[in-house]
Amino acid sequence: MDVVLADRLQFAFTIMFHYLFPITTMGLAPFVAWFTVRAYRTQDEERARAAAFWTKIFTINFAIGVVTGIPMEFQFGTNWAAFSAKAGAVVGQPLAMEGVYAFFLESIFLGALFYNRGRIPNKLQAVAGVMVWLGSWLSGFFIVATDAWMQHPVGYVVASDGSLQMGNLAAVLLSPFAWWQYTHVLAGALVTGGFVVAGVGAYYLLAGREEAIARRFVHLGTIVAIVFSMLVIFPTGDGNSKNVTQYQPVKLAAMEGLFESTKGAPLAIIGMPDLQNKSLIDPVFVPNILSFLAYGNFDANVKGLSAYATELWPPVELTYYAYHVMVGLGTIFVTIAAVAALLLWRKRLFQTRWMLWLMMLAMPFPYIANEAGWTTTEVGRQPWIVYGLMKTASAASPTVVTGETIFTLIGFVGMYFILGVLFIYLVLREIGIGPSGEAQVREGSVEAVS
Amino acid sequence: MNVAAFVVIAVILTAYVLLDGYDLGVAAIAPFVARNERQRLAAMQAIGPFWNGNEVCLIAGGGILFALFPRAYAASFSGFYLPFIVVLWLLMGRGISLELRDHYPNRMWRQFWDAIFFLSSALLVVFFGVALGNLIRGLPLDAQGYFLGTFAFLLNWYALLVAVFALGALALHGAAFLALRVDGELNQRAKMAVRRIWPVVLVLFVLVTVATFFTHPVGAVAVAFGVLAFAALLALRALARAPEAAIFGISSAFLALQMGAVAATLFPYLLPAFPQSAGAGLSIYDASSSPAALVSALGVSIAGLVAVAVYGTIVWRMLAGKVHVAE
Ligand code: HDD
Ligand code: HEM
Ligand code: HEM
Repeated sequence: MDVVLADRLQFAFTIMFHYLFPITTMGLAPFVAWFTVRAYRTQDEERARAAAFWTKIFTINFAIGVVTGIPMEFQFGTNWAAFSAKAGAVVGQPLAMEGVYAFFLESIFLGALFYNRGRIPNKLQAVAGVMVWLGSWLSGFFIVATDAWMQHPVGYVVASDGSLQMGNLAAVLLSPFAWWQYTHVLAGALVTGGFVVAGVGAYYLLAGREEAIARRFVHLGTIVAIVFSMLVIFPTGDGNSKNVTQYQPVKLAAMEGLFESTKGAPLAIIGMPDLQNKSLIDPVFVPNILSFLAYGNFDANVKGLSAYATELWPPVELTYYAYHVMVGLGTIFVTIAAVAALLLWRKRLFQTRWMLWLMMLAMPFPYIANEAGWTTTEVGRQPWIVYGLMKTASAASPTVVTGETIFTLIGFVGMYFILGVLFIYLVLREIGIGPSGEAQVREGSVEAVS
Repeated sequence: MNVAAFVVIAVILTAYVLLDGYDLGVAAIAPFVARNERQRLAAMQAIGPFWNGNEVCLIAGGGILFALFPRAYAASFSGFYLPFIVVLWLLMGRGISLELRDHYPNRMWRQFWDAIFFLSSALLVVFFGVALGNLIRGLPLDAQGYFLGTFAFLLNWYALLVAVFALGALALHGAAFLALRVDGELNQRAKMAVRRIWPVVLVLFVLVTVATFFTHPVGAVAVAFGVLAFAALLALRALARAPEAAIFGISSAFLALQMGAVAATLFPYLLPAFPQSAGAGLSIYDASSSPAALVSALGVSIAGLVAVAVYGTIVWRMLAGKVHVAE
C-alpha cells in the first residue's frame, strides 16, 4: 500500500467517526438552549429536568467529539505536511479562527452550564446554554468554510515559491460554496437532532415512562424534524447541487452515474454504475429531470463522465452510491416526519404506537445520511485535495512512511472501537435513568459541587 | 510582523502552560494528596469546569501556528510523527478519563479512569518537557526543516532533565491551584504538597539552568527572564503564608517567566538546528506566511483572543468559589 492511500484511509476513518458527534451536538445544542432558557424563564421543574437530561446527553457527545476532533487537526501536520506547507496560509486561518472564536466559547460555557447546576437553571446557565449553541454552530461554520475552500478555492494568491497565500479572508469565508454547504450541514444536523429528540420521546411513550416530558420531546422533535427535513432538500440540497454543477461538473456526472453527455438528461433513481460498459445497470429513469435540477431547464445539456479524461474521474461507484443513499434517505425522512406531523396536528400521534415505533427505529438513519453526504462530497472531489490546484497524491508528508501510518491507524481503530462502545453504553444508561430518575440520582449522589 | 507572530505564538503557548499546566499538575499529585474517594472527586471537580477551555489554548495555538507558520507546522508535526501521535493519544486519554469517570457510579470504573488520568497526564508533561528540551538544544534538520534524527536522539540527558523539571514545576503549580480551589483537609494537604515539592523544584531549576549554559548560548534577555523566574521561585517560599490566590499567582509568574526565557533563547528560530553552530534551522522569516496573510491571521487571532480573555475571566470568576469536600 502506498502512503497516500494509508493516509487517506486514516483520514476517512477518523473524520467519519469524529463527525458522528458534532452532528449530534450541533443538532442538540438548540434543544439544550431552548429547554435551559425556558426552564429559567418559567422556573418550571419539568423543563429543568428536560434541560438537565439533554445537557447530559450533550456532554457525553461533546466529550467524545473533543477527543476525536484533536486528531483531525493534528493530521493536517502529521500526515498531510506537503498540503499544509502549500496551503496552510489559507486553510490555517479558518482553523485558527475555529479555535479562537468557537472552541473557546463552547468549552468555557459548557463548563458553566454543566458544573454549576442547582435544580432550576440560573441566569449564568441560561446564558451558557445559548453560548454553547452559538459555539457549536460557529465551529461547524469555520470547518465547513475550510472544506468549502478546498472544494472551490477562492480569495487566495499564489506566492513566488508556489505556495498558496491568503488574499481575501472575507472571500474565503463567504464563498457561495461555503454558504450552501454550511446551511445544508446545519439542516442535516437539525434533522438528526429532531429525530433523536422525538425518537427518545417515542421510546419513553412506548415504554410507558416519563409520559408528560416524553410528549414534549415528541412534539418539539417532530416539528424540528419536519421543518428541517424539508429545508435539507430545498433550498440547501438544491443549492449544493447547483454549486457542484457549476464548479465540479465531473463530480456531478459521477454522483448521477451519467456517462455520456446528454441533452435533457434523465434522473436515475435506481441503477448500478458499470465502469466496464460505461452505463448504468437496471436503471429507473425519470426523463429530463436531471437537466432541470442542475440547470433549471428541462432541455439543458449535462456533461457526462466521458467528456473528461479518466485521470480526473473520482471513484465513480462510491460517489454514486453515497449520493443515492443520502437522497433516498432524505426522501424517506420527509415522508416519516410529514406523517408524524399530520398525526400530531390531529392529536393522535401520542397514541399511534406503530408511528412511535417507526420514529424510535428511525434514529440511526439521519447519521447514515450525513455520512453518505460527506462521502459524496469528499470522495467526489478526488483526485484533487484542493480542487484544481493540488492533487491528493502529492499532498502527503514526505518523511512519514506507510508502516507508521498503518500502525497509528490500527491504534485509532482500536481506541475508537472502545470509545464507541463506551459511548453507546453511557448514552443508553442515561436514557434508562431518564429525566426524572436523573433528579433522584442527583439528590442521592455523593455531590461535592461548589 | 514576523516578530509579532512569534510573540503571539509564545503568548498562547505560555497561556496553555499556565492554564492546562494546573490541570496536569493536579492530575500528577492527586493520587498522593487525595486520601479518599470524596477528596478525589473534589480534586476532579476543581478542574472539571476549566480543563477543556484550557486545552483549547493548545488547539487554538496549533491552529494559529498553522496559519502563521505553515511550514513549521508541517515540518514539526510530520517530522516527529510518532511522538506527536502519542501526545495525541495521551491528550485523548486524559480528556476522556476526566469526562467519563463520573458518568457511572461504580468504584472500579472510577479507579480505572483515575489511573488512566494520572498516567496520561504525567506522561504528557514528560513528553512536553522532552520536546521543550530538544527545542532548546536544537535538532538535526534538513533544508526544509524536516527532522533527520531518530527517536533515540530525542531522549538525550538534557531533554530528560527538562522533562523531570517540567513535572516538578507543574506538580507545584497544580498543588497551588488545588489549595486555591478546595477546602477542608484536602486544602491543607495541597498546601503541604506545595511546601514539599518546592525544594525539589529549586534543585531541578538550578540543574537545568546550569545545563542550559552548556548546551546553548544564552542571551541577555533569557538570563533576565531566568533571574526573575528564580526570584519568583524564592518568593513562593518566602510568602508561604500568603493568601492562596497570591501563591497561585506567583507560581503562574514563575512558569510564565520560564517560558519567556525559553522563547528568548529560541528567537528567532521556531525549530533551531543541532549542532547550534550550523546556524541553520527554521526561523520565523523562512517559515512564515506572506505578509498579507500574516496581517490577516494576526488580526483575527488577536481580536478573538482578547474577547476570550474577557469572557473567560468573567466565567472563571463566577465559578471561582471553593469546591466543598464533604467529610
Ligand atoms: C440528514 C442528512 C442529509 C439529507 C437528508 C440530505 N443531505 Fe445532502 N448532504 C448532507 C446531509 C444530508 C451532508 C452530510 O451534510 C453534506 C456533506 C457535505 C455537505 O455540504 O453536506 C451533504 C452533501 C450534499 C451534496 C454534495 C455537495 C458537494 O459535493 O459539495 C449534494 C449535492 C447534496 N447534499 C444534495 C442533497 C439533496 C438533493 C438531498 C435531498 C434529499 C440531500 N442532500 C439530503
Ligand atoms: C464530517 C465530515 C467529513 C467527512 C465524513 C469526510 C470524509 C472524508 C473521506 C471519506 C475522505 C477520503 C476520500 C478519499 O480519499 O477518497 C476524506 C478526505 C479528506 N478530507 Fe474530508 N470529510 C469531512 C470533512 C472534511 C473537512 C471539514 C475537511 C477540511 C477542513 C476535510 C479535509 C479532508 C482532507 C484533507 C482529506 C484527505 C485528502 C483527500 O483524500 O482528499 N474533510 N474526507
Ligand atoms: C478536518 C476536519 C476537522 C477538524 C480539524 C476538526 C477539529 C476539531 C477539534 C480540534 C475539536 C475539539 C475542540 C475542543 O477541544 O473543544 C473538534 C470538535 C468539534 N468539531 Fe471538529 N473537526 C473537523 C471536522 C468537523 C466537521 C466536519 C464538523 C461539523 C460540520 C465539526 C464540528 C465540530 C464541533 C461542533 C466540535 C465541538 C465538539 C463537539 O461538538 O463534538 N468538526 N473538532
